Amino acid sequence: MSLNPPDAPPETTAAPSLEQLLCREDIWRGGSSQAPARLAVDTGYTQLNERLAGRGWPNASLIEVCQPPTSHGEWQLLLPALLNSHNNTHTNSHGGLLVLLNPPVNPFAQALLKAGIDLERLLIVKVKDKADFLSSFIELVRCDACDAVMAWQPQQALGYTELRKCALASTEGQGIYVLFRPDTVCDQSSPAVLRLRLEWQAEQLAVRIFKQKGELAANNAVIELPLPSAWKGLLPHAQLDQPGKPKPKVASVTPIHGGRRGRR
Amino acid sequence: MATSSSHQARKRLWWALRLPDLPAHTLGLAIHAPELQVIAEQRQVVWISGAAEAAGVHLGMDATTAQMLSGCVVHERNPMKEQQLLAELAEVMYQFSPFIELYTSDSYTSEYGPQSGLLLEISSCLLLFGGVQSLSQKIAHCIASHNISLAMGAGHSKAAAWLLSFVNYSLDGERVEFIQRLSLLPIGLLHDFPRQVDALDKTGFVTLADIIRQIEAQSISSFKKRFDHDFVDYLCELFGIDQDFQQSSLFEKPVTYFQPDEFFAEEIQFDYPLHQHEQLQVPMETLLQKLAEYLRKRQLQTQHIEWMLSDIYHNHNALQVYADSPQTHWRLLFDLSLIQLENRDLPFEVDRLSLNCRTTLPLQARNNMLEFDAARKINRQHFSITAAKLKARLGDAAVYKLSYRDGYLPNDTNQRIALTDICQQELPDIHRRAQRPNWLLDAPAAVEMRKQGLYWRGKITLIAGPERIQGNWWREPSARDYFIGLRQDRQRLWLFWDLHKQQWFVQGIFA
Repeated sequence: MSLNPPDAPPETTAAPSLEQLLCREDIWRGGSSQAPARLAVDTGYTQLNERLAGRGWPNASLIEVCQPPTSHGEWQLLLPALLNSHNNTHTNSHGGLLVLLNPPVNPFAQALLKAGIDLERLLIVKVKDKADFLSSFIELVRCDACDAVMAWQPQQALGYTELRKCALASTEGQGIYVLFRPDTVCDQSSPAVLRLRLEWQAEQLAVRIFKQKGELAANNAVIELPLPSAWKGLLPHAQLDQPGKPKPKVASVTPIHGGRRGRR
Repeated sequence: MATSSSHQARKRLWWALRLPDLPAHTLGLAIHAPELQVIAEQRQVVWISGAAEAAGVHLGMDATTAQMLSGCVVHERNPMKEQQLLAELAEVMYQFSPFIELYTSDSYTSEYGPQSGLLLEISSCLLLFGGVQSLSQKIAHCIASHNISLAMGAGHSKAAAWLLSFVNYSLDGERVEFIQRLSLLPIGLLHDFPRQVDALDKTGFVTLADIIRQIEAQSISSFKKRFDHDFVDYLCELFGIDQDFQQSSLFEKPVTYFQPDEFFAEEIQFDYPLHQHEQLQVPMETLLQKLAEYLRKRQLQTQHIEWMLSDIYHNHNALQVYADSPQTHWRLLFDLSLIQLENRDLPFEVDRLSLNCRTTLPLQARNNMLEFDAARKINRQHFSITAAKLKARLGDAAVYKLSYRDGYLPNDTNQRIALTDICQQELPDIHRRAQRPNWLLDAPAAVEMRKQGLYWRGKITLIAGPERIQGNWWREPSARDYFIGLRQDRQRLWLFWDLHKQQWFVQGIFA
């Protein structure tokens, strides 16, 4: 496997002209507005689209989503885009596959069918270790048939070199490639094109973009994605998100067998 | 046309290669050894050595009686191995004639054991091999080199050649001569038709000449009245009688060509022993390209290839590669082979690499789903290669699809299926209306009940529900009240109160 970018010019040819260089997507030009338009998939959320460089999830790029280890907001974040990419007739994806690589548990067929996902397009790949994860990820993103790959980092954390391999492989594909990692790695470097942090709030999903290619300084403002109304239920008054009122402090997460107090 | 066809039929010359001791050869017994040896099938003696015969054992005898009588060693017959040996000999005989048929008769009498052998049509090969004498010597020599005893007979038809192999005549002649020779044979030789032979015997028929006389006197119709079609057809073939058909050539069975078992086997010997699997890549590619060429020319495809690595000390190591779907192209087989190689160290320094492909199937037999969308078709094809690689690396069970299945309990409605299976996607309205989590735990996880409330990796507050799901009474009755719970980290969970167990469980996560 070659680690060089596929479009890197061979050494023997003459020096590339400025125009040729400007055609490349990976040349930094000081301002994100001048960057060539990249293919992107509508996220399904206007407020999120506005903050993303290509007005949507970038194609052929590694997107890294960090969230607390015990919480999951992945489907809420990506489901509209996954449905968009399936129905989008302008891109060259007609019924491509959605692959879940190393998901934490099995998805629930009833919920996915209800959301409109075609189960014929959904594929699940389980891996045992990091080496299998890497080779499977690279294999999947290079495959034209995969429109989207959602991958969950294995038990052994991925190092920078391994992430770089994933990021490079992603440039060879055409779909949306999202890697989910615990939020403890937020302050570590990563070659991902886009890095987000997810956090649940009482009535919305808070998204914070902390790295985006083309942006010099990260805009840390929180983007709030609404929840389906049926999920909201009837919250106790104390837990409602009330403007102006300080939010109640959330106690630290207790492991199942952690506390002995109060056990019946 | 009728004339030319029957003319062809008249010119035919069949040779029977009868292998009387085939049961003994397959078991590796020495035929002329002084030991008393017997082969039995279902406790009945089907083959006896010369020494055993001298001791009074005869065919058809009970194996225990034979043992008591002579103290002989009883071996069990292996018909499958006999067929295998016969097929191998047929492939050897393919060098002499393209018309070969296998003959096996399992019926046996007190005189003759079960008989098997080969039938060759050689009229068109005589010129090439320099006549009857020369060809018969070559064939006899070839069979003798395999240490197999042989009896040969010639005739104008398969049946005649087979019967004449029981007596020693020259291997040449005309139809009239053959019929003359047949007339001297006893009717007991027709051992494929024991019931008919018995009936003829009781009527006073002794030799085949008696049958010929009967046919000459009253035509074949007298036999047609008394015996079944099979026997009458056999007699017609044996004596070359044209039955009363207007266009007899229509009913003439043509001689079929023998199809030898064809397979691909190629090898590369290296100039120096290789010790790294990277060095094997180029030779592997070369061999696989040859295989692809072989498959393309014969319009075949394959799912299984075998690599054989050998070293200079004749150590061998086999590598089996299976593809998910039949392949005509070499690329996927190459990638799968590389994945297998990556996962193991070379057992020795490889001196020779060979590729065998024995199982192929015709290209026409392949059926594809009708795909009207060209892009989708290409995508599927591309993915089949990726899927095969993933399966080779991770195992078949690691790559799967999800399907809905009718059921009461949530876990029962979630089904893992293979990539080739078709998903059930019709969701009943009752589920479509209800709130369902995106992640479903493999088994419900028990929730801790404390004074302050419910705890599962954090304190949970119930915010919506309940939804009663009950049923499954025929297996394990269950009644559950499902709720949506909000954990203190604002993660929404799907949890239920089990009415039978009186306990809370978490079953899903709203992600």
